[in-house]
Amino acid sequence: MPSRAVQLEAQPPGPALNGNRRTLEGILTILLFILAIGGWKAYVVFKGVPEYLLPPPERVLDSLVELIVSGEVFKHLFVTLSEVIVGFVIGSIGGILAGYLLGRWRLVEEIFSPYILFAQTAPKIALIPLFVIWFGLGLTSKVVLIVSMTFFPVMVNTILGLRSIDTNVRNLLRILKATAWQRFISVELFASLPLIFAGLRLGMVQAVIGAIVAEWVSGKTGLGYLLVLGNMTYNSGLLIAAILLTTLLGIVTYMAVMAVENRVLYWHESKAKIGGQDV
Amino acid sequence: MGEVAISIRGVSKIFRSGAARKTVEALKDINLDIYREEFLSIIGPSGCGKSTLLSIIAGLTEPSEGEIILKGGSNNSRRPNIGFVFQDPVLLPWKTVLENARFPLDIIGDRSKESLDNLAGLLEVAGLKGFESALPKELSGGMKQRVSIVRALSYNPEVLLMDEPFGALDALTRDKLNQVLLDIWNERKKTVVFITHGIDEAVFLSDRVVVMTPRPGKIHDVIEIGLPRPRTREVRESPDFLRYTKVLRDLLG
Ligand SMILES: Nc1ncnc2c1ncn2[C@@H]1O[C@H](COP(=O)(O)OP(=O)(O)OP(=O)(O)O)[C@@H](O)[C@H]1O
Ligand SMILES: [Mg+2]
Repeated sequence: MPSRAVQLEAQPPGPALNGNRRTLEGILTILLFILAIGGWKAYVVFKGVPEYLLPPPERVLDSLVELIVSGEVFKHLFVTLSEVIVGFVIGSIGGILAGYLLGRWRLVEEIFSPYILFAQTAPKIALIPLFVIWFGLGLTSKVVLIVSMTFFPVMVNTILGLRSIDTNVRNLLRILKATAWQRFISVELFASLPLIFAGLRLGMVQAVIGAIVAEWVSGKTGLGYLLVLGNMTYNSGLLIAAILLTTLLGIVTYMAVMAVENRVLYWHESKAKIGGQDV
Repeated sequence: MGEVAISIRGVSKIFRSGAARKTVEALKDINLDIYREEFLSIIGPSGCGKSTLLSIIAGLTEPSEGEIILKGGSNNSRRPNIGFVFQDPVLLPWKTVLENARFPLDIIGDRSKESLDNLAGLLEVAGLKGFESALPKELSGGMKQRVSIVRALSYNPEVLLMDEPFGALDALTRDKLNQVLLDIWNERKKTVVFITHGIDEAVFLSDRVVVMTPRPGKIHDVIEIGLPRPRTREVRESPDFLRYTKVLRDLLG
């Protein structure tokens, strides 16, 4: 039969091929990194850029090593991380609870919506001086800022999550004569999780920004304080080292939320199939 | 014909939608008696109000005029006596096949051995044995739809309402599921109201086929399908079968 001949021309790439490709991608990524650092160094040397404007890469490395060896870095990381965690946890629990209240009772939402819009769009950073006056220069004022920045994205997404439940799922619940409590505990809670996690991811990014900015304004310790210190002393090596640490903190906290999400939302379409290759 | 299970009396439905105060007359004066343990199909052009009618029968939508009378049935307020199969499977993605199929029993609070055994039997008939702990995302479209049928039957409702349940499936899968559906219906005798766009499917499955007019949906004609049961492949290939499909095709013309 002629049709037989056409069969199986294109074979899917086997695992070996996949592995090779991964290695190649890895090598290219590293090469690109070396190239960027090399370019940076070359620029500084050949253009004779003064160090306070842009230090050579090894100055940044020195600063990093010094921070680590002296143990300074852990103190600052610990302070910033605790602020982020405390603020994020309070803000997101509050956001989820408020989201459920507003999402379930439209009346409540309608009453609150103008105020929410106001509070949501107000740049929280502008409130820092006020928070400092109210709560002092310590941990509290920073946590309050972080809470205010985490709360809204989580709340808004929780409401969206509740609203996004398929009409036919609601119809099914009506046909089955489910009580309000049954609807909540067996469907709404789970169905809103994907969007809640989207909100938590946004909230975590906001939390890190909030912590850095708060320390910047009123800190004696923390990564935000390091940034200010580097800036004030024209120590650009320290400044860039602090920027790198901040970025690292951002990535790690974000990945932590992702990790929890992957465990909780294993059932979701967006997560790889169980036993599939690309987990 | 036996006793009436569902009586549709003078049902009309007008939708008022949007700020423009536009009204859509979806259904106009529908009168129909559906008999106990009958397999009834409804066929008609897109937008003629089939889904609306089914939703009214299920009590999900209020008619603008007229009424639906559901006869008999246990008046146990906790136990629904309608099973509904939607066009999409509408499974809960965080629940396994078994948990999805058992969902109505969990809501009703029925954990009797009898019901759970019945459920296991249904899963077997539907060809889902061995997939009890799979998640919906691991199933094919046809399998998902089978789960949703099993779910609708899990609490043994007297009436099964199905809104184009196989519309999204390929012809082969559709034929197979038609057979599964008939097997279940033969065994557990339910009143089935089945909406479809498929003329072949309607003839193959039904005792009667209701043909509706374009919007506003009215009943154009009701055709009794006098084909012998059990409906087998031979029935599907018989000249009578072709005659019925031709009659319907002409009516829908
Ligand atoms: N909730 C609603 N609000 C306003 N109009 C509606 C609503 N539901 C249905 N309609 C209108 O009523 C008419 C009938 O809709 P219905 O869904 O019952 O048609 P159908 O026969 O099921 O069509 P299809 O075969 O395409 O599924 C359509 O014109 C539709 O636009
Ligand atoms: Mg429809």
